[in-house]
This record gives sequence, C-alpha cells and structure tokens, in this order.
Amino acid sequence: MVAFLDISVVAVGAFLAMCMFSTLYGKSNPLYALAEESYIGFATGLTIVWNVLYIWQTGIVNMMNGDWVLILSVILGIMILFRIHPKYGYVARLPIALVVGAQLGLSLRTIIFTGFIQQISSVIAPLFTGSAQTLLYNWTIAICVIFMLTFFFYTVEMEGALGMSARFGEYLLYMAFGASFAMTFMGRLSMFVGFMQSYTIPDWKTPYLLGSMILVLALIVWMDKTGLREKLTPEE
Amino acid sequence: MADILKNRQLQLVVLVLSFLLVFVPYFIDIPQLDAASSELVVITSIVTAFTVALAVVSQYQRGMHYIVKRSKGWPFKAYMLISIALMLVFALFGRDSGPYEWVMLSIINPLSSVNYSILAFYMSSTAARAFRARNTKALLLLLVGFIVILYQAPLTGAMFPGINPIGVYFGATFVTAVGSMFLISVTVGAIVFGVRVLLGKEPSVLGSGGRE
Amino acid sequence: MVQEAESKMAKSNGGILKWMAEYDRRYVYLVLFLVVIIPLLRPIGMAVSVSPDTQQYYNVLNTVKPGDKVFFTLNTEYSGFNELHSGIVASLRVLVEHQAKICFAVGHVEATIIPDLIIKEVKSEMDANGYQYGRDYVILGYVMPNEPAVAGMAMDFHAIVTQDSLGRSIQGTFLDDVHTWQDWDFISDFSTGLSTTYLQNHFALRGTTMIVNCIGVSVPSEKPYLNSGLIKGLLQSMKGGAELEYLIGHPGVGLTSMDAFTFGHYMLIVFIIIGNIGYLGYVRKTQTEARGG
Repeated sequence: MVAFLDISVVAVGAFLAMCMFSTLYGKSNPLYALAEESYIGFATGLTIVWNVLYIWQTGIVNMMNGDWVLILSVILGIMILFRIHPKYGYVARLPIALVVGAQLGLSLRTIIFTGFIQQISSVIAPLFTGSAQTLLYNWTIAICVIFMLTFFFYTVEMEGALGMSARFGEYLLYMAFGASFAMTFMGRLSMFVGFMQSYTIPDWKTPYLLGSMILVLALIVWMDKTGLREKLTPEE
Repeated sequence: MADILKNRQLQLVVLVLSFLLVFVPYFIDIPQLDAASSELVVITSIVTAFTVALAVVSQYQRGMHYIVKRSKGWPFKAYMLISIALMLVFALFGRDSGPYEWVMLSIINPLSSVNYSILAFYMSSTAARAFRARNTKALLLLLVGFIVILYQAPLTGAMFPGINPIGVYFGATFVTAVGSMFLISVTVGAIVFGVRVLLGKEPSVLGSGGRE
Repeated sequence: MVQEAESKMAKSNGGILKWMAEYDRRYVYLVLFLVVIIPLLRPIGMAVSVSPDTQQYYNVLNTVKPGDKVFFTLNTEYSGFNELHSGIVASLRVLVEHQAKICFAVGHVEATIIPDLIIKEVKSEMDANGYQYGRDYVILGYVMPNEPAVAGMAMDFHAIVTQDSLGRSIQGTFLDDVHTWQDWDFISDFSTGLSTTYLQNHFALRGTTMIVNCIGVSVPSEKPYLNSGLIKGLLQSMKGGAELEYLIGHPGVGLTSMDAFTFGHYMLIVFIIIGNIGYLGYVRKTQTEARGG
C-alpha cells in the first residue's frame, strides 16, 4: 500500500514536469509559466537556505568557538551587499578587491600546472614509449593538439606551412566536434531517460506519469483552440 | 571615509596583497603565512556566499516590477515571490522531513530534471535538421558523430564488436585532444587576464566605471 | 539565386523527399518520447560491453582498503543525478564492500537530498558491514559553494566544516582525524562540472587519488585530466554507470535503462539519415536546378 504522501509527490511532480515539457508544443503557454515560476521561486528559496546555513556553520559557529578574526567575513559580506545600492555602491569595492585577489591567487597557483604544464607534458612526453596501440593514441593526440592550436593563431598571417597546418587543424576540429556532439547527446538523453525511469519505477508511478502527459496535452490543445492560451500566457 | 572606500589605488593594493597572501605560501613554506593564508581563504569563502543575496534581490526587483505595473501574467510573479518565502518558512520546520522535503521531491527535483533533459529534444531536432553533408567538413563531422553515436549504443558493441575499437579511438584521441587544446588556450588566457587584473589594467573587474 | 531556389522549393510539390527535408520537429519530439518510454515500460534486456575507461575506473575503485577515508562528493544538480544515479550507487556499493569510511559532501543545493536517497538503496550492504553514523560515515551538507571553500577544506578542514547536514557537530566522528588534504585517502567525485575542477586543483594536484563520474557533456573537458594523470579514473555518464553495475554483478537502474538509451541513439541516427536523404534528394537538387545545372 503506497502512502498518500508518496502518491502526492509523484502526482504533483509528474504534472509539473509535463507542464515544463509543454514548451515542446511550440507555443508559449501558462502551464509552462507555472512550472517555470515554481522552479525559480522554490530553487531560489533553497539557495538562500543553504547559503545562510553555510555562513552560519563556517562563520558564526567558528566565531563562537574563538576564531574572532572571522567577524571580518561578516562585515565584508554586508559591505559587498551595497553593490546594488544606487548611491553607496562604492562600499562594495574593497571586499570585491579582497575576494577577487584571493580567488585569483587560488586559481592561478594551480591552473598553471593542471591546465598548462601537465597538459603539454601529457601530450608531448609519451610519444616514444608503450605498446603499438598506446603509440597510435598518443601520436594522434599530439598531432591533433598541435594542428588544432595553429587554427586559433590570430596574430599572424595564415599562409604557407602555417596556413596548411591551420586548414588541417580545422578538419581535425570538425571530427572532434562530431565526437563531442555524440557525447553531449548521450549526456542529455541519459538525463531524460533517468527522469522517465524515476517515474516508471516502481510500476505504481506509471499511471500518474501517463495521466499527466495526457492531461497537460489536452489542456494545451484546448487552451489553444479556445484562445485562452494567448490570454493567460504571461508576457516575457 | 567615502574617499577611502572610493580610492582606486587602495583597491588595487588590497587586491595584490590578498593575491600574494594566497599565492606565495603555496610555494614557500612559512607557518605564520600559512595560517594567515588559510584564514583569508575561509573569509573569502564566507564573503562569496553572501553574494547570493545580490541574485535574490535582483529576482525580487524583477518580480515586483511586473506586479506593480500589473503586467500580463503578474500573478505568476507574485506566486514566484511567495514560493521563495514559503521555502524559507518550510526550512524552519526541518530539512530532513515535512514540507521542505515534500517541496524538494515533488517540485524542485522533477523540474530540475526536466530543465536539462529537455535539451535532449532540442539537440535531436537540431541534429536531424542541421547535420547535413553540405561539404567535406560537415561530412567529416557527420561521419565521426555517426560512428561514436553507434558505439555509444550498447547493443551495437555487443552485435558488432568491430565498432568498439573505432569508437574508443575517437573518444580517447580526438575528444581528448580538443579538450586539451581548449584547456591550454583557456589557461593561457586566464593567466594573461589575471596578470592584467593585478596590474590594474582591468578596472571593470573591480566594479569601476560605474555610477559612483 | 538562393531566393529563387527557396521560392521554387516552397511552390513545388516535392513529395516524400520534400517532407524528409522539411518535416515538423514535433515529430522528432514525439518519437523520442515513445522510444524512451516504451522500453522502460516493456524492458528487453540488452547486452552491454565494458569500455576501457570503465574498467580503469573500477580497477582504481578496487584499490580502496578497509578504513580508508573517502571523500564522496556530489557536485551535481538533481538533473545530473538522474544520469549519474547508477554510477553513484554502484561506486558506493564497492566502497561499502571495502569498508571504507565515507564522508558525503555536496556542491549544489539541489544535491542535499541525494545522500539520503542513495544510502537507502545500499542500506542492506551498510548494515551487513556494520556501518554506524559518525564512526563509519558522515553526511555533510552543502559545504562546497565556491573555490575558496574547497581550497579551505584542503588547507584546514575543520575551519570550513564544523557541523553535518542536520546541524550536529562533527566532533567525535571519524573526521576528527581529517585536517588537510593529506588525511584523505581517496576522492570519489560525481559531477556535472561544478566543483570538480576545484577538487582536482586543490586535492588531486597535491596527490590525493581522485576518480570522477561525470555527465556526457563534461566528458570532453574531463578527458584531458585523465590523460594527464590528474584523475585516475573516469566513468562516463549513464552508460559508464551501467557498465559498472555489470562489472560488480549488481544490476540496477543503469542496466535497466540501456534499452531506452540504445533506442534513443538509434532514433537520432534514423532522423539524421532521413534529413540527409531529404537534403541530397530534394534541397540540393532544387538548388542545382535553380542554378540551371
């Protein structure tokens, strides 16, 4: 026997999800607006809850445990909120400078290695060691990276050998984009399959899903035919 | 006080000092600097968490604009603002059960799921309409995409094992190469941009050039 | 000339080829709905083959020893959870079977509910291995909102994390022995591309073993890190999760979804072929005729 709470979760969830899918009908409609505003509203509330909790747990609790330097974080945090004030927006500049400087330090000290040195060494270094398959893979990667990079040289004239290299790199890029597209489609399809699976397993959920699909489609078509769709759809 | 807060040079000094306090201890081991650096990082993480309020205020202002002007569909904006408040109230009753959990499971989770999975439809229709063999480059894109899509479907690999090495090859080489290429380019760009910010050549980052 | 070709196309009755070049995209939407929902309602049970990347991921996961401290990070919105569900649960099963100490942490507000959902699925294995909250596993809440938070955890864990997701102090849990990145033995990250880069930069770069299960969209951007050795294993999307379920011998949502997954891919191929037949047979022909060729 399924609890009423579980049924309500599935019924409401399926209905709102189908309302969001109603945009596929091709015309904006009030059901999509309902789903959209529901998500924006509740998700914004959720974000506020967890960020306040983070500030409490990391800032206030630590301050109460003796780390009084963290009072600076609360003062600077309040100062940064003045960013939106039309007259006192300048109050936010110093905390922004502090945050930008610290974030820059955090990212620059690591991306030099992870995004540059390690990438170059992993492309160039293993070109003469390993099995035949490993060598094939490594040489393909090295050739692709070098020729693809030349395609993006914008500061010199693309002529002669450089021009040929850039054209070859362009063809390699198209091949890579074909493979990347396939992976991107796999990702999005997986999200859709996973979503549908969550509403078909276990079996008792399926009637609510199918019912919502039919109900929302019927509502959209009816609203479109009677002119209510135009009347009730909010302006963008 | 206002003059101090508006001073561009002071901003730049604060930026460079906070950068150095985080950057230097990573490479040079000085215990006092390590402790100060760690403290600064914690302060930065908390201050960054405050910035979410800016997005919330912007959302509130946008919604109120519709409601005050009684634009078409203003009840939807009112509903949005009420739902923000409701979520804050529900969180007070506990985050592991009750109305908070109900809203998570029945509203936020399904809508978040649809938000991104709807792209599968748009990608399918776009691919069906745009993946045309118009020229050699498009043909190459189409062929490689075709092979990788076939490889990704598990049944193909089970029925025609010969496609597996080809699909793995394209995924392990071309995809890796293009990812490496973009990563190297973006990293170089980020380093150059970071140096420009430290030298004060990017005033827009610090919010300069505004109304004040 | 192009306008002439277009007006000619609009006026002509090109028959089936014209339809193939210009069909309403809502047919694609309808067919995609059907090819996904029908196999889910009437499963067939297709075979899967294991890719080298999944095998590598599994091999690295199997190196976890009893008592190892594992940082189990969920950097995904709920939509990503639908895709990574199979990989998350299968990985957790392996870690529980290896009796690792697991710290669940979340990098997105929508993922705060996921630890409870996945623990319910592996409850029997956790009970069989004597798992106790606090001693063997802890659920932190949203503790990775930004890069400074992740970097702070690598430098001084207890400066960032003081309480679990329900507001209880983490003192007295196994996290008492965790202070910096050096105290973690393993990171198992599940990502839509959020805090993964931060974890890679501040933990993996310093030497913590890290594996990633990412969505299909993020695979091109994670592959370079796998190639450079920064991450030791990469599980790709729902397909990787299904392959992992197959490897551990515990079928779940991943394997049951492979029918719909397969038909979705074949549907795309069919529509691309239809579009190209229409393009070559109608559009190109009309353009050539308009040019007088």
